[in-house]
Amino acid sequence: MTTWLLVGTVVLGAVALWLLLPRGRKAGRRIGAVLGAVALGMLLGSLPPLGGWFAQGLFWLLAAVTLGSAACAVSFRNPVYCAVWFGLTLFGTAGLLFFQGAQFLGAATIIIYAGAILVTLLFVLMLANPRGQAAYDRRAWEAPLAATVGVVLLGLFSTGFFSTLKAMPEETPAQAAAEKRQPPGKYPVSALGAELFSRHLVAVEVAGTLLLAALAGAVAVVAQHAQREQQEPRPAAPGQPTRPQRELTVR
Amino acid sequence: MNEHALWLGYQVVGAALVALGIVGFLARRNLIVMFLAVEMMLQGVALSLVGWGRYHGTLDGQVLVLFVLTVAACEAALAMALALMLFQRRGHLDTAACFRLHEPGQEAQLVEEVSPEGELEEPEPEPAWPHLPPAGVEPQRDPEQEAYRSHV
Repeated sequence: MTTWLLVGTVVLGAVALWLLLPRGRKAGRRIGAVLGAVALGMLLGSLPPLGGWFAQGLFWLLAAVTLGSAACAVSFRNPVYCAVWFGLTLFGTAGLLFFQGAQFLGAATIIIYAGAILVTLLFVLMLANPRGQAAYDRRAWEAPLAATVGVVLLGLFSTGFFSTLKAMPEETPAQAAAEKRQPPGKYPVSALGAELFSRHLVAVEVAGTLLLAALAGAVAVVAQHAQREQQEPRPAAPGQPTRPQRELTVR
Repeated sequence: MNEHALWLGYQVVGAALVALGIVGFLARRNLIVMFLAVEMMLQGVALSLVGWGRYHGTLDGQVLVLFVLTVAACEAALAMALALMLFQRRGHLDTAACFRLHEPGQEAQLVEEVSPEGELEEPEPEPAWPHLPPAGVEPQRDPEQEAYRSHV
């Protein structure tokens, strides 16, 4: 990747993100989308070829879906749309994990993230403010600065990766090991399970305990709040939707 | 397949996800969208770890991603409970409210006009729902039932 291509990608990406982020006005969002697509194309196009048109096309498609929907997820005004676009990001990531041969992680991403975390998020959004009309959704903090920070960071990361790639040996450790011993086996999921429940057994138990503790913590937070509400009931907050009164005329 | 190119592609895509997450975390004001941006950063890290795992030919990267997933689930449960409580107390999810945090007896220490609310675009008008007149005959009310089902 030449330096100028990288600088161009960074500048284009920063301008695109600044135009896309909620700034209180609608003007320039389409220009931002076009610039963002160009920056994404430049970023993906600068990667070395994978070899094989099918693998290359699949990787480009999955990466474009993931990054495009991620950009939408951080830039849409309506938080519900943000959550839905984040769902598409999760599917793109799961696809990339499948592409890498990490089948279990791809499935777990869809099940845990899209199935549990995203649905919890949508529940809370629906309970809170579903319409995205709030002023704080329509105006971002310091959008140009935030966009510049993020994209410059991406540029620095990419430079680091490209220079690491130059210093890497001809053969990856995986390829070198595959010549000496047997490849890890036909079923990567069972290999992962064997690894998880032999070398990392204690860590698995600790993770289970952590999940239990988080469950208890969430219940405690809600229960404490409910107890306090009972002791001193508050008037409904101004932004809270009030339940419409049901009307029935008596004849 | 060119393993080096695959490694590089996963690192760059993961870094781009992290960068987008940072942009969202810094720029957005809605607590839930900020949380979503953090989850996006975790996804980027997961891609990077799996890429490194494939490069080295071991499963350590995948195992680590599995633990990241566990921690993310715990974090989501706690964060959503806290966000819901915050919303019920304050009526909004704006992080600018944290500038005015203070103890009951004290003045707020840091009060500044953090974001001018002027020149906002007009919000979309409320959709006009059709108004349906109540129809039919009201059923007979049972006074005994009304005593214990007051909302009917």
